[in-house]
Amino acid sequence: MGPLILRRLAATIPVLLLVTAGVFALIHLTPGDPIDAMMAESVDDSVKRELRRELGLDRPLYVQYASWMGRLLQGDLGRSIRNQEPVIENVGRRIRPSLQLAGLAMAISLLVATPVGILSAARRNSPIDRVGTSFALFGICMPNFLIALLLIFVFGVTLRWLPISGYVDPLEEPWDGLRSLALPAITLGLALAAVITRTLRSSMLEALSEDYIRTARAKGLTDGAVVRRHALRNALIPVVTVLGLQLGTLIGGAVITEYVFALPGVGRLVVDAVFARDYPLVQGVVLLIAVGFILSNLAVDLLYGWIDPRIRYR
Amino acid sequence: MTATVIARVAGRTVRDRRWDTLRRAAATRLAPFGAAVLLVAIGAALLAPVVAPHDPLKQDLNHTLGRPDRIHPLGTDNVGRDVLSRVIWGTRVSLVAGFGSVVIAVVVGGVLGLAAGYAGGRVDNLIMRVMDAVLSFPPLVLALALGAVLGAGLIGVVIALGVVYTPTFARLMRGQVLAITAREYVDAARALGLPGWRIAWSHVLPNATAPIVVQASLSVAFAILAEASLSFLGLGVQPPGASWGSMINAGRGYLQQAPWIVFGPGAALFVTVVGLNFVGDAIRDALDPRLRV
Repeated sequence: MGPLILRRLAATIPVLLLVTAGVFALIHLTPGDPIDAMMAESVDDSVKRELRRELGLDRPLYVQYASWMGRLLQGDLGRSIRNQEPVIENVGRRIRPSLQLAGLAMAISLLVATPVGILSAARRNSPIDRVGTSFALFGICMPNFLIALLLIFVFGVTLRWLPISGYVDPLEEPWDGLRSLALPAITLGLALAAVITRTLRSSMLEALSEDYIRTARAKGLTDGAVVRRHALRNALIPVVTVLGLQLGTLIGGAVITEYVFALPGVGRLVVDAVFARDYPLVQGVVLLIAVGFILSNLAVDLLYGWIDPRIRYR
Repeated sequence: MTATVIARVAGRTVRDRRWDTLRRAAATRLAPFGAAVLLVAIGAALLAPVVAPHDPLKQDLNHTLGRPDRIHPLGTDNVGRDVLSRVIWGTRVSLVAGFGSVVIAVVVGGVLGLAAGYAGGRVDNLIMRVMDAVLSFPPLVLALALGAVLGAGLIGVVIALGVVYTPTFARLMRGQVLAITAREYVDAARALGLPGWRIAWSHVLPNATAPIVVQASLSVAFAILAEASLSFLGLGVQPPGASWGSMINAGRGYLQQAPWIVFGPGAALFVTVVGLNFVGDAIRDALDPRLRV
């Protein structure tokens, strides 16, 4: 396992370098002058000149990149223009709701997808299967914001069971906190559940058609034992792969979900920074999200090696 | 002489296979529904000025939040605009964004993949690492950041989504090129002295298209969803222009009084994406029966 981790880590270094170059270049892609784009016409010229110097925009490009990278390596991601606070602090304040949302959504999706996917495959072409596959198609084609609005309409506006916006930390007030996260987590969880259901169903179907399943049946095992002990274990490998591939979609979905439900998370921070044209903050947060994404993909890769021992020795 | 004959024979078989493919795609159960949805959407987009019953931008402050009735089949929005007319005009935006960004991605990704697969070595390494870097960003976050610097508007969104989908096609194309250039008929063409571009154009490209067509047809659906998401966040077509995402965002404040503002564009978006998925699945099944789920 050790050499595998090292190899994968080494492979991410050039990609990380290119990612930083891309994020750095972002600010220079702006048509016209980035400072003019960031600040209104009315702002005093001396303030603009000051900001230009602070961001180093008056120096040659390679000098800018070198000094930006230098600060980056010391953990300095720059400052937000709006609130003058370091990017790290801005993100630190917002990370908790985002992680809670992602964790709850993941739990909901697995709770829904595991039984539906297994039943769909085990009772292929039955009414259960048809409901399951329709649910999967519905979840894949329905954009996050529509699911969110549907849930708001039913549970927030009509039945008035759950709050439709705002955030209470469940670590401080468990009941109100869970209630405030319920609709966002269901929104995000259903979309993910759809993809997992689809994958689990097809990989279960494949596993169930293997010879060792016939053997297991022939030696008189019950249906449940065959499915649980022989088919499911082998069917889980593609599910982990798909979970990894879906991480990007999950993060994108979190951005939308946090926006709709006014959750003070990292996704909401990105949207706000984009519309405030707070470019240093956009750069910093996008870079952090990309690094987080690369590292989670790495983790999924390693998890894959742990689940399937054949991969470890390749 | 011999080379052109070989090329012509190869070309004909590829074309024949294409017709078989279309026939097989049409025979799939859900494909007719998908094709019908696609045709209606294209028709609505092309004929928007003719088929839209009202001016999509004309406000009528005496009929705000109007219930669906005979004059306004999908109701009116918060400033009295006809929702149906705006949905019809919004079809243009969705299709332009969906197809436009995928065309960009196929062309740019295809050329990059071809170059990487053909040149190999350092060029290959550089191109593919850049593609890996693009893939290191969650798609929506990358599109948001690019959209932010390119400026709000349809063109910015189309370019941003084009960039997001490029690596997928570059990877696919590179893989295809590597597989195909190892075949005997490419060796034969080389032995006949055909120039490299000629081999790439008449032997590698036609044989590499199948998986790219499949991926492209499925990507259009995702691109339409992504454009709607960006418009929903406020990045795409700017008000008062009509796009499904921005209409849904504008209507979410009126869910209680006038849910039809969200329903019209929401249903249009959902049905279009489902239809495109069916078409994509049918094409995939027809081109490669092994991939059938």
